Amino acid sequence: MVDDPDARAGADSAHLESCRDCQARFKVVSDDAHTIAGLLAVPQARVDTRRAFAYIMSARPSQPALGLRFPIWRSAGRPAFALVAAIVAVAVVLVAFTFSGFFFQPTTVKTVPVSVADVQALAQLADYGTYTWTKQPDFQLATSAADASAVAGGLKAPEVKKLPTGVSRNVTYGAMSLAVFTFTFSADKASAAAARQGKSLPALPKGIDGATLTVTVGPAVGEVYGDLNQQATGGSSNEINLPQLVVARSTSPTVKSTQVTVSQLESYILEQPGITDQLKNAIKAIGDPSHTLLIPIPVQYATSKDVTVQGVHGVALGDNTGVGSAVVWVKGGSVYVVAGSIKQSEAIDIANNLK
Amino acid sequence: MNVGARRMTSVRSDDDAFEALFTAQYARVVGIANRVLADPHEAEDVAQEVFIDFHRLHSSTAEYAPAWLHRAAAHTSLNRLRGARRRQKREVAQALEEGERTLDPQKQLEVDEDRRQVRQALARLAPKPAAALAMRASGLSYAEVAQALGVGIGQVGTLLRRAEAALRKEVTRGTSN
Repeated sequence: MVDDPDARAGADSAHLESCRDCQARFKVVSDDAHTIAGLLAVPQARVDTRRAFAYIMSARPSQPALGLRFPIWRSAGRPAFALVAAIVAVAVVLVAFTFSGFFFQPTTVKTVPVSVADVQALAQLADYGTYTWTKQPDFQLATSAADASAVAGGLKAPEVKKLPTGVSRNVTYGAMSLAVFTFTFSADKASAAAARQGKSLPALPKGIDGATLTVTVGPAVGEVYGDLNQQATGGSSNEINLPQLVVARSTSPTVKSTQVTVSQLESYILEQPGITDQLKNAIKAIGDPSHTLLIPIPVQYATSKDVTVQGVHGVALGDNTGVGSAVVWVKGGSVYVVAGSIKQSEAIDIANNLK
Repeated sequence: MNVGARRMTSVRSDDDAFEALFTAQYARVVGIANRVLADPHEAEDVAQEVFIDFHRLHSSTAEYAPAWLHRAAAHTSLNRLRGARRRQKREVAQALEEGERTLDPQKQLEVDEDRRQVRQALARLAPKPAAALAMRASGLSYAEVAQALGVGIGQVGTLLRRAEAALRKEVTRGTSN
């Protein structure tokens, strides 16, 4: 029984019409709601929507953050989505900072445990300089694998042989062109960022001021199974249709750096305030970081295990709620991802049978 | 159509979609923030911040857009309500609006004091019940509150009842101190 008439189902509504007890309870609930509404009452704000829109359009950044937008976000997966966003942010930092000083191109994957404190500490490193896009990514949706492949410079989309039961056959293809961005370290910015956080900066490695990291990502191509909503529908629906499965392939990212060595940067990262011993030990334990793509795993929320996929080493990720799972592996110069609202065994099965 | 032309079309249609979303939701987003802050100017600040954040990272054609905006408006304004900066700004805003008052000064003082106490009580609630109350009081339906908070529509009634009881308790506690 609720005080929103539209939220009462037909049977409840019919019952309320004839039940005096429920009518009395409804009145109490409704009166309470009105009392609280009265407490929270304020004079209505008068808004000038057109003027506000003009302001927003002039104030908004000319490019979205890192040039990326997320078209898919689902109510049930919000915590998982936030998690993925955090993982991606930390992965970029880890890749960029841990494996520089030489040319880096991963041939395998490995997980490292990260905590919220690690994410905060590492994310702060992004404020220690400026980034510029040498070549911006171009995202496209396509109705055919061939169109998507054309955008991705000829990279072919992986083909799923057999979909798990319950996964929609409705497929949308997507592609991203090759993108290159350069991060330039600035000693002044690093000091200012640390000062804003009220922290003292660890001693900067010699020559780090002006050092550059050039990161190349993509091209990438993939497909989304499920209903990818591309038209706003006014938000009246109670259900948000979910993309159930995403399969993607990207050319392995590469990182090149100038002026500093990998050991200098690694030491510097591990000296950042807030980095846990767990992460320090995990990074130190990596034998040959030059060919390993690190995947940060939030220790409190997600689990991972090593798996063999298509005859090579891979990592299966999952969260403790069972909301979704993913498999990541590197083969033949490409990084592959299978992810979705499916069981881990199904994700591994799809991965092993990709063409 | 070549890739460049398709991209241009895509950018234009996304801007059009953002304008449509803004036109449809701006007043509601300001309304939610104003319900929390009781300050229309700061509520507009919050709304603009929320829309800019949304535009940076999301497609305006996404079906979740209204739900995202409603939730962000509630949480951003609640965060401001809890912040020290907010208290200082509110005092300034109240002083500035002194000239606009139409009520009897004594009555206005009482209204301001009531609003202040209710907002202090709201700031002490857990984020989800506080957001639920702000959204519902701003006219969102149970279905819209459910979508914004990521809960089932069947849970909204119970969530609101508990939130109302908690707010009443906090208001009472505030006035008896």
